[in-house]
Parts: sequence; C-alpha cells; structure tokens
Amino acid sequence: MAWSQTKTYKLCNSISTGELCSVMKDNGNGRFLSIPLDEENTDYQEYLAWVAEGNTAEAAD
Amino acid sequence: MSDIRFEGWLHRSGTGGVYQDSAGNVGIASTQPKTSLDIQNGAFQVGPAGICTVTTVKSTNIVNSTQLSHRNVIRNGHMQIIQRGSPLTVNANIARGRCAADGWEISSDTNGTAVFSTSKSTDTPNGFGSSLKLDVTTADTSIASDVGTRLLQRFEGQDLQAFKKGSSDALQWTLSFHVKSPKTGTHCIELLDIDNGRSVSATYTVSQADTWQYVTNTFPADTTGALDNDNAQSFIIIWWLAAGSNFSSGTLNTTWNTRVEANRAVGQVNVTDSTDNNFYITGCQLEVGSEATPFEHRTFGEELAHCQRYFFNVTGNNGQRTNIPAFANSSTDCRAMVSFPTPMRAVPTFSGSATNMVFDSADDSATFLCSALQQGGYLSNDSPHGMLIEVSTSSMTAGQSGVLEFRANSGELNFSAEL
Repeated sequence: MAWSQTKTYKLCNSISTGELCSVMKDNGNGRFLSIPLDEENTDYQEYLAWVAEGNTAEAAD
Repeated sequence: MSDIRFEGWLHRSGTGGVYQDSAGNVGIASTQPKTSLDIQNGAFQVGPAGICTVTTVKSTNIVNSTQLSHRNVIRNGHMQIIQRGSPLTVNANIARGRCAADGWEISSDTNGTAVFSTSKSTDTPNGFGSSLKLDVTTADTSIASDVGTRLLQRFEGQDLQAFKKGSSDALQWTLSFHVKSPKTGTHCIELLDIDNGRSVSATYTVSQADTWQYVTNTFPADTTGALDNDNAQSFIIIWWLAAGSNFSSGTLNTTWNTRVEANRAVGQVNVTDSTDNNFYITGCQLEVGSEATPFEHRTFGEELAHCQRYFFNVTGNNGQRTNIPAFANSSTDCRAMVSFPTPMRAVPTFSGSATNMVFDSADDSATFLCSALQQGGYLSNDSPHGMLIEVSTSSMTAGQSGVLEFRANSGELNFSAEL
C-alpha cells in the first residue's frame, strides 16, 4: 500500500467493502500492524492516545 | 459427660508414649517433639503458626480453602511455550518487549540501553524442562535515573477475583519461583494494581551468583481497591532487573499503598551491567494464601491454549500451506478466513512477515507479501474467535476457493491480543 514516511498511522478501508475497518501502523522494520477498531485492543488504545495528543493518521487510499 | 483433662504426662526419652519438653512441645511416639505437636518423629506435625505437616494424607473428603487445581494464575510459568520463536531480541527501551516465552515481556524506559537475547533454555532446576534465559547482549553499566528495567507479566482482572482484593476478607498473595541470577545481593519483586494505582514490593537475596535457588514470598492482603472483573489489564507482577534512582531512592514499599515511584525497587542490583550476565527464571507461581505450594505443572496443550488467548501465529516455510481457507472474491481481491484455536482476549492486531505467499487455487494468485494482508473484518468483539484477512493481488479467477500458502521460508501470520 502507498505509505507516507511522515505518518506513523494510516487509516485502512476494507478491500471488499470499502469501509474503514482498521488502522495500519508502520513498525519501521518492514512490519506493519493491522490494528482493529476495538477499544479493548492495546494497539488501538495506543493509537487513540496518539490521536489525543493532537496527531492525525494518514487518510485511507 | 464431663470434660476430661489428661494431666499425667509421661516424661521419658524413648520413642513411645506422650512426651512434653520444656518448651511445651508435645510428642506422641516421638523421640523429641520438634513442633507444637509431633507424632512419630515428624510423620504428623503441627507448627506454632497452626501449619500442619503430614507425610501422607489419605482422605475420602477434603475441604480446601486453597483450590487444588489452577492455583497458579501465572501463565506459562514454566516457560515451555515459545510461539514467537527463540531466541528473540528485546531492547529495554521499548514499552512492551515480548520475550521468547509467551506471556513474558521486558519493559523499561526510552533511556534504557540494555539489550537482551531472550530464549527458552534447558538450564533448569530439577523438575522443569525449560527456563527463560535473559542474555544481556548490550550492557547498561550506568543506569539513568528514569530507567527501570523489569521482567513482567500482565493480568486480566477477571482472572484474579479469587484474591478478593478490595474486600474486607481479602487474601494474601504468595509468589514462588526458581531463579539463577548473575548478581548476588538484593533483587526486588513487585505486585502492581493498575486499576487502583496501588503496589507492594518485596526483596529476595541472591547469595550465590549463577546458582539456581528457590524463592518464595507472601505479599499481604489488600482490603482497598477491587480489581475490575473484566478482560482489561488490571494487574502486573514484576521482577526488577535494574532500577534508576527514580525507582529506588525512597523506602521500599512492603505494604499495599498508593504507588510511589521512588519506593518500588529500593536496593535492586543491576543485572544488566555486563554482557557476561545471564538471568534465568522458571517455575513462576502466584497463588492465593500464605503458603507456596509445589509448582502446578499444567499440560503443554492446556498452557498453549491459555497463551493463545493473547497471541497466536501461523508459521511455515516455502511450499507449506497454512490451512487458512480463502477464496477469490474477484480476480484481484483474495479473502481468507482465519479461525483462532481459542477465542482471543480482544480483537487481535494482525501482522505478517515480509515474505512471499500465494493464494493456492486452481488458478494461483500472483505472489504477495504476508505483510500485504490486512484485516477485512472480524466475527465478534466478545471473545473473538476468527478474523477475515484480505489482500489485493492478481491472476485469480473469481469464485475459486483455495488456501493461503507460504512461498518463502520463515513465513509468519501473527495475531496479537496481548494486554
């Protein structure tokens, strides 16, 4: 997927439905985390905290 | 019938009869009673604290306040499960550094410079098949004030309700483990209540470096602050490895209190001060009550299922199929349905390796990277038991079914719902 190097997170739509379904995180080592929109998921909690600090994820393709 | 008091004590030095020594200990058929009550030279003893020691118990009915099974709330306490592989490098400067052994992590601070190679080791005390080895590969010889390097495990509150924390009849916590540390001296352990911001610490002393020793410690009960009865993180148990002054400049907090950083790890030696250092640990058990019972050896399968509530992966080499069924939703949209072996704690984060795979079907897809797969949806937020993953690729025929197949060695599909 196209990825801006200036963003840590990128919103991600389902390929088949086109609806927002996850947030991608670039771990910087060729690894990407596909994070569900689940508030019980600790990676998503970390993303929400990052947003609360005033950051904005890259828009979905 | 009136009460009868036996006052005719028999004083003798043999092994028969009833004997009371000058300390008040009573022996029956004992040469010399060693506890408050001693029958047949230790076959049955009652100690001063009401602790009964019996060589063999044969009973038709036992009523226990300590449960007989699943006493140990620590998962993978014998370090057998290593789904992520071994060895695994962990930098101390990240918040959640996953160790080779499932359920265990090293956490520190951004200023921590130590690096560990973590692995499943066969260096163990008798009765254990494996231990977790923390090999210091980059030393931190001068611990910064804000560095607190610690080995830990996190818990859901719903798994710790038996301790009755926050109630008037709260129970004690007894921790036991086998450890082999490269450093002599004071080592700190700590229980951390995340829900209520409370903690309690204790120390154990290593008298001989690089030697296995069995450690037990009973932490007090806490009548303040109940743990949430849900699947979120409520609690952490910590083995300190190094502590900067921010964590060690106060007085060690040995009773449950509101957490004060300076009182958490007072006196902690620096286990990370040399690349010669190897720290081993196994047989970790945390249980209700005042006594450490023998380690509860659960089966490999049972422990694996417990660990897979938090992490699950599918691995393979070139040409190996994943057993994950998939279908071509169109000529370019491949969808695969992953069924988890056990319902996971929460909807997991998915990640794939940067290695090739294909959709193996009558008309195979073009190769794509495992890391190109992404979530397409999940089945339920309540103990999720499966997930749809999908990828844009080419060369497929819409409607055909098949299976995901690795086309390079060391392929991985990881699902993580860790705390």
